[in-house]
Amino acid sequence: MRRRLLLIAVVLLTLALPFQLGTSALTTATFVVIAAIGATGLNVLTGYAGQISLGHAFFLAVGAYTGAKLGEDLGWSAALWIPAAGVVAGVCGALVGPLALRLSGLYLAIVTLALVFVGQHVFFNAESLTGGPQGRTFPPVVIGPFDFSAGQVLHLGGLRIDHNGLYYYLALALLAGATAWAWNVRRTRTGRAMVAVRERELAASVMGVDIRRVKVAAFTAAAFMAGVSGALYVSYLSFAQPGEWSLLLSIQFVAAVIVGGMGTVAGPLLGSAVVFALPTLLKNLPFLPEEAAGGVSVSDLSSIAYGLLIVAFLVLQPRGLVGLVNQPKEAHS
Amino acid sequence: MRPSILAVAAVAATSLALGACGTGDADETSSGNAASGSLKTGPGVDAETKTIRVGDLNALSGPAAALGKPVVAGHQAYFEALNARGGIDGWKVELAVEDTGYQPQQHVQAYNALKNDIAILNSFGSPTTKAIQPQFQREKLVTIPASFDSIWGTDPTVAPVGTPYSIDVANALDFATDGGAKKLSVGIIYQNDEYGADGLRGFEAAQQAFGFADAGRQSYKPGDTDFTAQVQKLKAAGADAVVVTALPSATGPIVGTAATLGFTPQWILQGPSYIEQLITEDGTSGAKPTPVAAALKGAIVTSFSAPWASQEAPGMEQLVADQKQYAPDQTPSIYFALAYSQGMVVEQILRKAIESGDLTRDGILAAKENLGEVDLGGITPAVTYTPEGGPPSRQTLITEIDPSVPGFLKVVEPAHSSTVADTIDIAA
Amino acid sequence: MTEFLQLLFQGVSLGATYALVALGFAVVYRSSGVINFAQGAMLLLGAYAISWLAVDLGLAFALAVVAATVMLALGGAALHMLVLRRVVGQPTFVLVMITIGVGIAVTHGVEVAFGPDRRLLGDPWGSSAFEVGGVTINTVKVWGIAITALALAAYFAFDRYTRWGLAMQATAADEEATLSVGVPVRRVHAATWALAGALATLGGLFLAGFPGAPQPALGDAALRAFPAIVVGGLGSPFGAVVGGVLIGVVEVLTSGYAPESLGMNFYAVAPYIAMIAILLVRPYGLFGARPVERV
Repeated sequence: MRRRLLLIAVVLLTLALPFQLGTSALTTATFVVIAAIGATGLNVLTGYAGQISLGHAFFLAVGAYTGAKLGEDLGWSAALWIPAAGVVAGVCGALVGPLALRLSGLYLAIVTLALVFVGQHVFFNAESLTGGPQGRTFPPVVIGPFDFSAGQVLHLGGLRIDHNGLYYYLALALLAGATAWAWNVRRTRTGRAMVAVRERELAASVMGVDIRRVKVAAFTAAAFMAGVSGALYVSYLSFAQPGEWSLLLSIQFVAAVIVGGMGTVAGPLLGSAVVFALPTLLKNLPFLPEEAAGGVSVSDLSSIAYGLLIVAFLVLQPRGLVGLVNQPKEAHS
Repeated sequence: MRPSILAVAAVAATSLALGACGTGDADETSSGNAASGSLKTGPGVDAETKTIRVGDLNALSGPAAALGKPVVAGHQAYFEALNARGGIDGWKVELAVEDTGYQPQQHVQAYNALKNDIAILNSFGSPTTKAIQPQFQREKLVTIPASFDSIWGTDPTVAPVGTPYSIDVANALDFATDGGAKKLSVGIIYQNDEYGADGLRGFEAAQQAFGFADAGRQSYKPGDTDFTAQVQKLKAAGADAVVVTALPSATGPIVGTAATLGFTPQWILQGPSYIEQLITEDGTSGAKPTPVAAALKGAIVTSFSAPWASQEAPGMEQLVADQKQYAPDQTPSIYFALAYSQGMVVEQILRKAIESGDLTRDGILAAKENLGEVDLGGITPAVTYTPEGGPPSRQTLITEIDPSVPGFLKVVEPAHSSTVADTIDIAA
Repeated sequence: MTEFLQLLFQGVSLGATYALVALGFAVVYRSSGVINFAQGAMLLLGAYAISWLAVDLGLAFALAVVAATVMLALGGAALHMLVLRRVVGQPTFVLVMITIGVGIAVTHGVEVAFGPDRRLLGDPWGSSAFEVGGVTINTVKVWGIAITALALAAYFAFDRYTRWGLAMQATAADEEATLSVGVPVRRVHAATWALAGALATLGGLFLAGFPGAPQPALGDAALRAFPAIVVGGLGSPFGAVVGGVLIGVVEVLTSGYAPESLGMNFYAVAPYIAMIAILLVRPYGLFGARPVERV
């Protein structure tokens, strides 16, 4: 009962957030929620099925450019290009899946890394789609009479929601859907099969688990969510260059999944909050002076702190933030 | 708890609520405007304390920190000196600096944090400024970018201080080939991003106009460590002159590799390709020369600001004095000088707005558009802002690398322009 | 022909550096199953350490190199003892993420300590070069190849003929068994990381040599060496060396001869494509061993 009340309180707080936060903090929160959608996908792939992937940035990019092509170049409604972004990225994920059959562990990790580099190479050269090195603009979300561009405002009852708030709620809704799906999958046969593959792949295959299907399913799901996340991200940012889809971005997602707590339900959101909001938070801590001693700026120090924090976290609490909360009860994953 | 029923109920309720609505335009102009006496004020203007806040989104960390730090130092020094002189008719300028690490996402966040409190904005970097462009354009916030992309001339809210890269290259080639009279073979090596693409655009325009032999266009990726292939190809094509649109981390290896291979063309370096640390250890005159310094001697640099302490630029004396007083640790830097000129432009825009009694966003924008020519004391070429837009300047400051002078740049032609440059369509 | 030879030489020289980096990866992976994503940061730190000792403190260059190598070896060992030892038994990606975090902290730390500008390396070779049959050879690159070869030879001798080398091999093969026969496994691990640090310093030295310079972006070069370790086979030091040289040569030759239709700067991804191609045929790299699995 108490847990239910806590959950309701959290949900209400999350829904009321845009009216509590200033614009800058709301912007950060929106980026966090958008990223959490992608992190949820990666959580399924890495947390449930145990497949290491450093290629998440590639699937985000595929989603982003699909959205751009359909939304801006062809003028489709966001109700179409957001799911389409997910589908196209998902198909790419399904194609990468079989690679995981032949390669394992760190070999797979490095091949997914290759995906990022080869992908970037393609994006830099496909000027008509990506704008080449110069980058391109991306369409704002437009669904029927609802236009999320900068400067648009929705009046709902007595409430005034600006475009930051609109993106926030849309991302939140999509995240809720993704999380519900992920939570549900764990209870299905496929979900249990994924966990079996993670724990002991050889034993699982001996017991009749269809390894191919499981791995492809995991990659497809992760890529789908990454595609939606990527499309929404660039829509909110309004402009991006191919250099955006780098190894660093992939690493941030992996960090988010691990710091949040691999294989847990709340992990992706908590981890995304830490990874994507932390640098801004560290820089804006109210009691720090603008220039620390010796002309070293606070932002330099915050980058160092960011790296150290990841290390400290993983050394002291490898089960992530969720593990921190669940300390008293033994978590069964 | 049954998630499915809950979800369906939630969706139903939301759709009912939203059913009759749509989004509408926000009314922007009413935010933060006030009138104090006969002077209208807008966001970022405090009539009681007579302070105007100027935003500065910069790169103090991350890959562009080497360029961003001197820019912030230049802004700070300029405004501190300005305030010490009494400000603009008694109005003091307060600088609000935010570090965004050259990342568009951070830039957007920081912009949202600052935008309601500032009257005018400095923004570092091309991709970062482009990410906030839809917003500041809408909000009529005049923005001064630290970037020379040609595209800025097409947006009235943007006040670039400096000549676009493409025009610089065209002017430099006009100078090097004597308006096409000298039959040279010219090649270009450029960074594979929009900065390089802009330089390439200037190269192509010049090539079409002068018809010089094209010795090849070689590109490289940021982060490359080996340039042998690109240099070899330029050498094999017999290039007499090579345009370099790069960043210093690549310029060094490119010129160094060429020297090793015995290839010594006339180097034409685009402004950002050069930094004082390419010549000596820490950019100051007395320090130890770097291994590539010898190869760089005599290279042409289309510098975006005048050589440090140059006698030919009347404004330099004040700049150096202000630097010594307000930024004593700063070593000679073309970026500091650029930022200093940007400060001058900001001052002129605000001064005009105050004179016309309108410090609202609209008023400041109108002041900028009708500013006309602004003399920047020779520190950078004069800029001109008109309602029709276009590049603020089509003139290029042509300098030559000379390790024996402070800042290592010797002025060859303070304001070179050419018909080729005039024909470049920046909106293309 | 001279063009080809020139490119070949540059490729071998770059490959020698990649080989050093790859060997550093392989050594660590072999004994602990971790890919050390902090290797690039260690490279960076090594180059800066040499620069600081030689230029700021004025030490003789050879002494600076030795001192820096020792410093980084100690640093590597410290990293193991203070951080990694506490996470024994965690899943591999946790360990990998930790090295990533360390890499981020160290890279930014170097930038904070030394500033974002390029520095002088302080080496005595500078831009000097000589010609052999039409091919220009930078002195610093010759030293790079020579020292890499020496370091590799020393490592292989150490691995095969000393007790510590034997201990490292045993720890890599079966840690529990090795522990049970009385080998100080913890010290072996620390020594492995110390070795990685030392190799990183040498790699950093030559990467920062002419025409490069110590600068914050140096660490990114380690990413280019990734295909090397995979091609050679994770955990095979010999494979790492072969892979490193191969990847260096592929990268430079591709930059010279790749047709435009493959896109601009294809040479940057050519090593990765080569890697994928090789893995499709040999999923454990050229010299990697297929791990034995028990149900």
